[in-house]
Amino acid sequence: MSVLHYDKHTNSFLLGVGANLYQLSDNRAKLLVKCGEVPETTEKEEPIKEGEKAPRAEGPAYITGVATCEGRVAVISNNKVVETFDRDFQRVASTVAIKRATSVQITDKTVVISDKAGDAYSYSTDLTDRKYLLGHVSVVMDMILTPDLNFLITCDRDEKIRISHFPNCYNIHSYLLGHQEYVLKILLLSPNLLLSVGGDQKLILWDLSTSQPVQTLPSPQEDYITISYSPPYILACNSRHVTVYKLTDTTLTQTSQLVTDHDIIDVASSDSRVALLTREPKLEIYQFSEGVMSGKCEVEGEIDLSQFKDSVLPEKKKVVRTAGFAEYFERKRKRIEEENLKEESKQAHINLQEKSKETHLKG
Amino acid sequence: MTKVKYPQKRNYRQRAHSNPLSDHSFDYPVSPDVMDWTKLYPRFKPENEVKFCDIGCGYGGLLVTLSPMFPETYMVGFEIRVKVSDYVNDRFLALRQDNEVYHNAGVIRTNAMKYLPNFFRKGQLEKMFILYPDPHFKKCKHKWRIVSEGLLAEYAYVLKVGGLVYTVSDVKEVHDWMVEHFTNFPLFERYDPPAEDKAAQVLIGSTEEGKKVLRNKGQSWTAIFKRVEDPHLVNCAGT
Repeated sequence: MSVLHYDKHTNSFLLGVGANLYQLSDNRAKLLVKCGEVPETTEKEEPIKEGEKAPRAEGPAYITGVATCEGRVAVISNNKVVETFDRDFQRVASTVAIKRATSVQITDKTVVISDKAGDAYSYSTDLTDRKYLLGHVSVVMDMILTPDLNFLITCDRDEKIRISHFPNCYNIHSYLLGHQEYVLKILLLSPNLLLSVGGDQKLILWDLSTSQPVQTLPSPQEDYITISYSPPYILACNSRHVTVYKLTDTTLTQTSQLVTDHDIIDVASSDSRVALLTREPKLEIYQFSEGVMSGKCEVEGEIDLSQFKDSVLPEKKKVVRTAGFAEYFERKRKRIEEENLKEESKQAHINLQEKSKETHLKG
Repeated sequence: MTKVKYPQKRNYRQRAHSNPLSDHSFDYPVSPDVMDWTKLYPRFKPENEVKFCDIGCGYGGLLVTLSPMFPETYMVGFEIRVKVSDYVNDRFLALRQDNEVYHNAGVIRTNAMKYLPNFFRKGQLEKMFILYPDPHFKKCKHKWRIVSEGLLAEYAYVLKVGGLVYTVSDVKEVHDWMVEHFTNFPLFERYDPPAEDKAAQVLIGSTEEGKKVLRNKGQSWTAIFKRVEDPHLVNCAGT
């Protein structure tokens, strides 16, 4: 769930607070538009399959994800609404997804979403023509459509990162396997390098040509919250730390670490700025240079952070495995023991009988 | 040494349906590279590879039939139910004791819907078997079905191009569902096996489920599919 997004096309940050979308540029915040409005159903909607109901919006409307391309901005909300805006932030199209969307990507030709059921769908730019792309068995927590549009990378709660071809996502290219808990967030650093963080408190750098991890960094402080990338720097956030790493070739080295006063909710970064949303909720902008964050300043402009909707996503609960069948195996062990004892005593009884027969004959 | 006894089903009773979407406690390797197959097959060597997988192997009937038919091939059954997989395990321990064969077959208690890529590399398997899968009749349970558009991508991933999937069901609706899904999936094609395909011949008679259907004079439907090249990539390469 990303509510802070760096929009490289306008060199500004986009922030979702409740249902409101704000733009931050030069430390000033401006309200752009209110999102999550449930669209009226029109004839344009995809014909519903027999026996299925049209997806209905449900739940409170607050922004859970933002994606940008040159001419458009896509927003997903908690109530299943998916919408796109032009660069004047006029709503261009909106639809209701089948399940709550967990990630969104947009290009000038397509909008792709992943959802809490583990499925990914693509839409045409007017958000009609929905196509099923792929399905994980558990919720998809993050998704990347590669810039060359050849691959769709999805990660799930079952520890997997899957790289599928695009748009032929039925053809899986490879898996990146190494996490031992849900995979929270992934970033494509270059056509050959992927960064991931998981509920196992690991930050892993992957070589995509071999599907192997090249570097694994343990978390400095419990769970990771999110990661961000402004070449060549990576910002990794725990609840109170922002650790900055520099990527040289295929190695990450730490350049700085910042400790915050409050728990971090989300982060976004550009070449020169880092925007940090912390729990209070509070929004701070830092100068960012040579891998170091400094010069914190508050954001000006009218921004009502009290509307911020914080939710602990169910998918972030770590897997609690139902107890194995210890009882069954214990009972089995006892049963086999008893059977063996019976066998032994039976055999001993037979031996005794034979012996007494023998002595009887001899005698 | 205590002789391993053949297991009796009455000691391994378990409810037939298990929720594949919940988090049971399984052992599975982080990736195929770290999987230690010698735990399953005492004679397994580094250059060997498991080639056949029976998804939902139940009480092991198919594996017991296939094992002596393909003595050089390593084959594994995946079974989600604890007691049933334990039964199969004990069955093979007993069989191996009495015979020189059966060292190439074993069972793993795991969730095939979630962990296939953890056990198998891309294109590793030559044959996959889906025999008498749980129908999960109710619409709300359809996502528990072992054949779905999403999962077909994973089956296509672990199967080599040219590899085969063998399916059987005694429920016509399930058979039709599988045929529809596989044939509409770009990476699979319906396949008519030649007479020499030994595995195709034992599909119905070898499993406990199949024998029961025969006893009750019911009907089983089979369908076999071949993993083919991605037509999308083939087309792009051609342009």
